[in-house]
Amino acid sequence: MRSVYLPGNWTELWEYLARNPRALLYAGGTDLLLKVRTGKVDPVALICLERIEEMKGVTESADAIRLGACTTLAVLLDHPLLQKHFPVLIKALRELGSPLIRRMGTIGGNICNASPAGDTLPPLYILGAEVELKTGSTLRTLPVSGFIRGPGLTQLQPGEIMSAVVLKKQPDYNISHFEKVGLRKALACSVVSMAAVLTLSPDGIIGKTRLAWGSIGPTIVTSPDVEDLLTGKKLTPEVLQAAAGIIRQELSPLDDLRAEADYRRDVAGNLLLRLADYR
Amino acid sequence: MKITFVLNGIKKEIDAAPDRRVVDILREDLGLTGTKEGCGAGECGACTILVGDEPRLSCLMLAAQLEGLNITTVEGLSKDGELHTLQQAFAGSGAVQCGFCTPGMLMTALAFLKKNPHPDRAAIREALSGNLCRCTGYQKIIDAVETAARTLSGKENS
Amino acid sequence: MPRPYIPEIGNATPRADAAAKVTGAEKYAADYYGENLLWAGVKRAGIPHGLIRAVHTEKAKNLPGVVAVLTARDVPGTNRQGIVHKDQPVLADSKVRHCGDAVALVLAEDKDTLRNAVSLIEIDFEPLPGIFGIDDALQPDAPAVHEEHKGGNVLLQATIAAGNVKETLPECAVVLEENFTVPFQAHAFIETENGIAWQEPSGNIVMVVSTQAPFRDRFEIGHALGIPINNIRIIGPYLGGGFGGKDGATVQCLLALAAMHAGGRRVKMWWNREENFVAGYKRHAARLHYRLGAKTDGTLEALHCRLYYDTGAYAHLGGEVMALGMEHAGGPYRIPHTLIEGWCLYTNNPVAGAMRGFGVAQVSFAFERMMDLLAAKLNIDPIELRIKNALQRGDKNCAGVVLTQSTGIAACLEEIKKHPLWQDRAAWKSQAQSFKKRGVGLAAVFNAMGYGRGLPDSAIAKVELTENGHIRVYNGVSDMGQGNATAFFQIAGQILCQENTAIELVQPDTARTFPSGSASASRTTYTYGNALIKACEDLRQKLIGRAALVLFADTTQDLELLPGRIKHLISGREIPLKQLAAMMSEQDRISISQFIMPVVRGVPDTGKEFVIGFPHLLFSHAAHLACVEVDELTGAVEIRKYLAATEAGRVLNPQSFEQQIHGSIAQGIGYALCEQVLLTEGNILNPDFATYIIPTSCDIPEMISLPVEAYEPSGPYGMKGVGEVGTNGPLPAIANAVADACGINPTRSPLTAEYLLHSIKQKESTAGKGHS
Repeated sequence: MRSVYLPGNWTELWEYLARNPRALLYAGGTDLLLKVRTGKVDPVALICLERIEEMKGVTESADAIRLGACTTLAVLLDHPLLQKHFPVLIKALRELGSPLIRRMGTIGGNICNASPAGDTLPPLYILGAEVELKTGSTLRTLPVSGFIRGPGLTQLQPGEIMSAVVLKKQPDYNISHFEKVGLRKALACSVVSMAAVLTLSPDGIIGKTRLAWGSIGPTIVTSPDVEDLLTGKKLTPEVLQAAAGIIRQELSPLDDLRAEADYRRDVAGNLLLRLADYR
Repeated sequence: MKITFVLNGIKKEIDAAPDRRVVDILREDLGLTGTKEGCGAGECGACTILVGDEPRLSCLMLAAQLEGLNITTVEGLSKDGELHTLQQAFAGSGAVQCGFCTPGMLMTALAFLKKNPHPDRAAIREALSGNLCRCTGYQKIIDAVETAARTLSGKENS
Repeated sequence: MPRPYIPEIGNATPRADAAAKVTGAEKYAADYYGENLLWAGVKRAGIPHGLIRAVHTEKAKNLPGVVAVLTARDVPGTNRQGIVHKDQPVLADSKVRHCGDAVALVLAEDKDTLRNAVSLIEIDFEPLPGIFGIDDALQPDAPAVHEEHKGGNVLLQATIAAGNVKETLPECAVVLEENFTVPFQAHAFIETENGIAWQEPSGNIVMVVSTQAPFRDRFEIGHALGIPINNIRIIGPYLGGGFGGKDGATVQCLLALAAMHAGGRRVKMWWNREENFVAGYKRHAARLHYRLGAKTDGTLEALHCRLYYDTGAYAHLGGEVMALGMEHAGGPYRIPHTLIEGWCLYTNNPVAGAMRGFGVAQVSFAFERMMDLLAAKLNIDPIELRIKNALQRGDKNCAGVVLTQSTGIAACLEEIKKHPLWQDRAAWKSQAQSFKKRGVGLAAVFNAMGYGRGLPDSAIAKVELTENGHIRVYNGVSDMGQGNATAFFQIAGQILCQENTAIELVQPDTARTFPSGSASASRTTYTYGNALIKACEDLRQKLIGRAALVLFADTTQDLELLPGRIKHLISGREIPLKQLAAMMSEQDRISISQFIMPVVRGVPDTGKEFVIGFPHLLFSHAAHLACVEVDELTGAVEIRKYLAATEAGRVLNPQSFEQQIHGSIAQGIGYALCEQVLLTEGNILNPDFATYIIPTSCDIPEMISLPVEAYEPSGPYGMKGVGEVGTNGPLPAIANAVADACGINPTRSPLTAEYLLHSIKQKESTAGKGHS
């Protein structure tokens, strides 16, 4: 039997953590409780974050939107502010797990899990999301791309808690695209995914653009070369083919149960070609 | 630890290990075996219950988390022996075959219809996509939810 | 509550069990617990092949809360289970043959202690080289999975032949050749294998278990543990799915053994999902080599097949599965010359056994791809090619059996042919969006019903007028979700004219119901239904006869059985059934009847290797149509529309019928698109629902089911079994649709996005070379 604590606010959380420094934290439990079940981890105590209201909710400032780390993915998916400002994230959330998983899983959990297949990560990378990390006495902010170090690895220090994700509003982009290839149409782990935001002029010229791929490397993959190539060009199948060639060369994906590396490489490029549909 | 919560409208006080799974508390300690377990990993949805109006996977929820909550299981759907509209629709539309996924399907569908009283079939499919069924091919389950939605909105209008 | 009604044949009667299932009140085996409960669990081999040097159980035994740790030495009987071949130990003794083999059995006070105890057991192995597939098993000097088996790793080699293939095939105007491979498929029922058992003071074992074959379970337990079968009582409630995977011993012998060491306490065993994958049965992986010869007008002439089935570590029903595959290898077509050779092979892979579409789902892929390849080669419309060759009653099938019963494949194809989805397919295909290719594919399939010759396909029905005037049907054949219990409800209502609220169904219980065989082979409603019709008719006659005495009727002609009563039509006098029941002895209120399925009379002089299960008299038929869209960028297939025309005799309950069609198509779609047990040296890499992918509600399209009714004179009210035939269609129909969309030749399943994108790429590079 292990203890399970449910702090109701930050103060209680720091207290529990101080008393149980080796406790593991969970929000929705969709990941950690599985690891407990299969014996991959055997924590002496668990701290469940779902009752900390201060860690939940979406708030707006003049130039940014702040997502409490324990806001569930379902709440984010339904949130008008996100729908308005970050359609690319909404598109990714819609494809994540199942409605049941989204009701339990949280944005902080999806990030801290640091899975290369985490569906919110490609959008968060291209939106330049920042994460707030707190201890009882300190607060620091890191870009999500710097926060994640590798599969399952983050910059989170012992005793440190992710409190929020901050997204700067991005008025320029008029195209938001997300595509996930999984082994089925719902309840699927991504085999390859790609998120893209673009500024496309009325005459079809690509202005600013950001792209990121999931599940094709140890962490989310971005490519300045591809972005440079696309910027200033007309959105044509030929241009996209050239970009696809670059990303395929840059990648060194792995084989796993879901697909082989060659397939991932091909599709990572192919997903770019879909952008032609926005012409 | 002592845990107090409301179960199917009745206040309960139980003594359970804080890390005991809610699905085990319901089935083994309280004898409510309507809530099923199919995978223990959140992948099948058979153990879905309602927390307030929200569906949750009771295999990924621990006893301590029950404190103060309002829980509904499939046993709490019918009132005075009268089946809930959704239960009637499941039985009438042929949405039940082996029936092992049915309780979880019902709970997910109920929560969905509360938020989306007039869904189309695609929305119903999406809403139920975390509940696996191996018998029906889902079509008659979608039929049942559609039928229940119509009946329920008819009741509201009348 | 809905108004009471009289269940009748032909109406869309809702399930008799639906109300109890939607309220959570229905008790499945998994829902039985009890005071003072013990939990039992198993230490499994974890390696695919090895000799057991020692099993160290001391640490586990010393753990507080552990009641017993048992090994093969504690098994009192033969320690062998198996439906046909007794080759599977309850607890492995000298060696293990697959990763899921049970080596030690633990009884503990609670689940946590059980898990800890199991993890403390250490097995000292001498690893042996493994047989990890068909090629390994066929090596002449391969290590033997079963040293004592005379045929080495060949469990069964058999031949079905008709006409003269050797002479005719080379002479055919067109000869096509292809190899197909299909993987292991998991049943993935939602209620995993489980049961609860206890020993009564008399020494008898009582078990409530999720099983498709309660009566056979007694023999399995009795043989393996040395217990007289009359000392074993099996209770089989509704199952949370079965599909063949609970046909055969799963927890039964282990639980009975546990009960013998539990001092009368109840013992529960419930495999978790991973254990279900590792230790549960599978659909056979297979490799199928086909050579098909035809005339230039498309008339089929000759077929030569070599079929290899991987049965895994134990025989289970491997030989019988292969037999059925071989019997269906030629498809529902007239082929005068056939030579069908089969090898069923032992390997160190998971155990393969019965699964819906028993051996037939595999060959359906092959013969229906061959038909499309032939149609393309000869430039003949694929549906015309099928209709031209479709079996008719009176034809000989590929096993040389003259078809004497209803044979509706041509009617199914005609139904598809006139449907708008087929008629307007060119227009639909031309409307594909960018990066999408559309295709339409057909499959004509069939599935035999019943056990076949060599094993009587029998059921014994019992029906009772209860003391309170209700009708109680004692059903001896499990309802795993297929809905046979509801058909029995309808039959009783139809003949005995009683309302639904006055009809009770007793589910299988070896102490209360009679042996009626397994829930398998699309046989339950047919065989038990025929027995029940006779039992109900006898009871009806009896009740009217007894009522005549009370109502002073000098002829039973004037009496009518009505809901709750019998009426003398001339005088208007009535006797309530409850009153009648009170006047009858318990023995008199019962009627019992047996039915044995008819069999093929002119047995062809082939397939002599099959002791049981060949040939079959009755077949159900179906033609399927899949409309698919393939994404050129990812290779992903989306099934946009799906149509199935099914002939299974007469439809007794349109709702139950459609349920079976929908469910079998959905399982078939899983088999076609995403399901495969991934193995590395006998280890399952995807033993859970996160990695073994079954379809969700978003993966199955809206399905259209067209019943093509025929009347099967031997069936209850003209029906045949419909449980399996639909499983055989989706893989070939979808493969043919994908081939139509992309111009590729899919020869293995599942048709994953990765496989298809690879095939498309390969085709493009070949085409590119062709141009240069």
